Amino acid sequence: MSGRAASVTLDGLVGRPIEVEADIVGGLPGTVIVGLPDATVNEARDRCKSAVMNSGVPWPDQRITVNLAPSTLPKTGSHYDLPIAMAILAAQRAVPPEALRGTAFVGELALDGRLRAVPGVLPATLAAAEAGCTHVVVPEVNVPEAELVEGIAVTGVRSLRQLVAMMTGDEPPDDPPVPPLDPPSTQPWGAGERLSGLDLADVAGHEDVRLAVLVAAVGGHHLSMVGPPGVGKTMLAQRLPGLLPDLERSDAIEVSAVHSVAGLLPADVPLLVRPPFLDPHHTASAAAIVGGGSRFVRPGAMSLAHRGVLFLDEAPEFAINVLEALRQPLESGRIVVARAARTVVYPARFQLVLAANPCPCGQGATRGSTCRCSPAMRRRYGEKISGPIRDRIDIRRTLTTPTRPELAETLATGRGSHDLAGLVLAARERQRRRFDGTPWRLNADVPGTELRRSWPVAEDARLLLDRQLHADKLNPRSADRVLRLAWSVADLHQHDRPIADDVRTALSLRSDLPLDAAMRALVVA
Amino acid sequence: MNRRDADLLTLSIAAEPLDAPMRELVRLHGADAVAAACRGESGTPEVPTAWRDRVDLSPVDAVLEAAAAAGARWVTAGRAGWPVALDDLASVDDPGLAPWGLWVRGEGPAEVTRAVSVVGARACTTYGAEIAGDLGADLADRGWTVVSGAAFGIDGCAHRGALAVAGRTVAVLACGVDVAYPQAHANLLDRIAETGWIVSEHPPGAAPLRHRFLTRNRIIAALGAGTVVVEAAPRSGSLNTLRWADRLGRASMAVPGPVLSQQSGGTHLAVRRGEAVLVASADDVAEELDGLGWSDHGASEALTDEARRIHEALAREQGLGIGDLTSVLELPVRSVRAGLAMLERRGCARRGSDGWVVLRGLPG
Repeated sequence: MSGRAASVTLDGLVGRPIEVEADIVGGLPGTVIVGLPDATVNEARDRCKSAVMNSGVPWPDQRITVNLAPSTLPKTGSHYDLPIAMAILAAQRAVPPEALRGTAFVGELALDGRLRAVPGVLPATLAAAEAGCTHVVVPEVNVPEAELVEGIAVTGVRSLRQLVAMMTGDEPPDDPPVPPLDPPSTQPWGAGERLSGLDLADVAGHEDVRLAVLVAAVGGHHLSMVGPPGVGKTMLAQRLPGLLPDLERSDAIEVSAVHSVAGLLPADVPLLVRPPFLDPHHTASAAAIVGGGSRFVRPGAMSLAHRGVLFLDEAPEFAINVLEALRQPLESGRIVVARAARTVVYPARFQLVLAANPCPCGQGATRGSTCRCSPAMRRRYGEKISGPIRDRIDIRRTLTTPTRPELAETLATGRGSHDLAGLVLAARERQRRRFDGTPWRLNADVPGTELRRSWPVAEDARLLLDRQLHADKLNPRSADRVLRLAWSVADLHQHDRPIADDVRTALSLRSDLPLDAAMRALVVA
Repeated sequence: MNRRDADLLTLSIAAEPLDAPMRELVRLHGADAVAAACRGESGTPEVPTAWRDRVDLSPVDAVLEAAAAAGARWVTAGRAGWPVALDDLASVDDPGLAPWGLWVRGEGPAEVTRAVSVVGARACTTYGAEIAGDLGADLADRGWTVVSGAAFGIDGCAHRGALAVAGRTVAVLACGVDVAYPQAHANLLDRIAETGWIVSEHPPGAAPLRHRFLTRNRIIAALGAGTVVVEAAPRSGSLNTLRWADRLGRASMAVPGPVLSQQSGGTHLAVRRGEAVLVASADDVAEELDGLGWSDHGASEALTDEARRIHEALAREQGLGIGDLTSVLELPVRSVRAGLAMLERRGCARRGSDGWVVLRGLPG
């Protein structure tokens, strides 16, 4: 007698349907799992046996073969417990096999039959829906995230007993609730709570950097800040997410899926609507930043920052291989982790914010500098951020210690994040209208050729750019980046297309020059 | 108010401050005769009807009443509170360009001495705003009064910088002292008036007309011992102030900016043409003014007698310890320490490897 139950496997965020087959035949009693299970999946035998027996169903005293098809795909994870148990129950007709049709099962079993929460339920449910399942059974604590997926019915259960009763049409027993996955002790960004209440107006002085943060928020541009320690780089970076609008639903699902796979999704509010903010420490390993792991490839900080902000403080202190790994996601918006057995793709379209000291001692580039670093030391320090990465950074600012009047906040009161977020939202709305029907959403996304062809700038602006190109002050690629930045400036100023002043501002943002009065007016209350 | 003050006030009401025919008439007939003619009390000298109309429209008594309500007082040359620096304007051109008098509002000290003017572009950059604020604060710290025009941009930042360190600052307006122009600076103007002055040669209620800014600039330039332009585009009005400073024999200074910045084009041009000296900090400004006899030393504290005696006792080569000084001068250790610190701050003494040595003579 044989039974079947559907489940899914996850390759990064991409799920594939898995068919779990169980066959009960004569022979020495025993259970084998085939279909490239890893140790976790193999251990499912013992968990399933205890859980089934503790749920009041006998375990067949025969030889059971469980196959996870397609059998060439390596399987890992404890979420196969539930489909394996259900396939075996169906094989011995403890539940009607037809009741399992079109239903995908995800969940880890406890020995007493309780159903434990597992990570990755959101992408698994997405995959199940895509594979044609009409129904998904998940641990009760995972229901909120599974319910984010449209077009699939979600049933949450607390125990195998409950599920069996439901399938056989009996009254389900009232089992106690199961606690959610241990919340990660260090939430990387705490569902935005950590950053809520941070206001850009709290930063004294640094008018030009506050503007840089504003423009970066408008067009999704990468930003680099250089300045002595304690000058406010981290404060400024932490206030960037506060300017960004809420994620669109499709993005929110994608971001939540990545966090779900990493087991970082809060059980109560599974949909992450605020752009994430990740600030890994500079000692973080490449696997922590890029993503990795021996069997199961966990998403790294770059993917967790998808559609949000990745802030690398003390950027030159990061390991070279970590910094170099930024190249691919900066170019393609995704990260590919290749292992011998499998290749996993995670999305990684983040906004990069780099902060660095001007030199190893940190005191260079200030007035009355006491820096003793040699030119060679300074050069080596700066070169840690390689040319290809530096080239992708659109906005560069050098921070100096705020002057006394700036600290006394008498010079000008800064506009608060709430006001500025309104400006960003309006500017993004202009972009949304402009890029409607194209694959792009933000100025920073649009390829240069496309930008030049489809959305020409004002004549004086074009002349200015041409002059810069002909004078060899810009190379063609940098010119494209200036153009994108100019569009963001124009969107902020509500110009229909960039005028020469917008291009000038873009050039200033890129080459660390002072910003003009029209820009100042944006951040001064 | 005595007769002379009232006459000068009449003149200021009748025509714009630099009206050439009026200056000529006053030179020929005297202020009292011209004022009487403006009031219609006499037929000689003959004055344009427009002048008489203006005085008719706002007679001296009415203006004084409005001024009293606005907290403004009328100060003329030679009276208490008159900034003597403005007298230099009298000798710039033939008929003289000194204002007939000044309207003053604010709780500032009786007189403005030791002032520096800091001016620049209204449309300043983030860099200019930072520098102007810093300069205002540093100059105020050294006991200088910061004079500027209360405009947007550099002017406002310079005032605020001075206020940030509880320094004194003076705003020279191109409108009445009770008119908040620009409107957004109404608060700033009130704060300036709390410890400093708001001055104008136009009667209360006067509107900020375009040409008044240029004549106003001469007063800003004259009030300061020097004028610093922080940011100015090549055709900026701030360069006009700089030229006034130059004509008045004041120090004219300019702060450099990035060469690619348009807003520094004018300051760079001024330096290149030799119209201004490049300054980068309050130290530089102080050094320039020092050269004009405006010593920065002793700005905040007068040298004590003990300090003078210590200075006399010190030698250039042979270092003296604090113990030596206490016994030689028979002063308590505390006074010796205080005196030495005072001398050190002024750059007159220094602690060497074998004790204190004198570096230079006492200033002044």
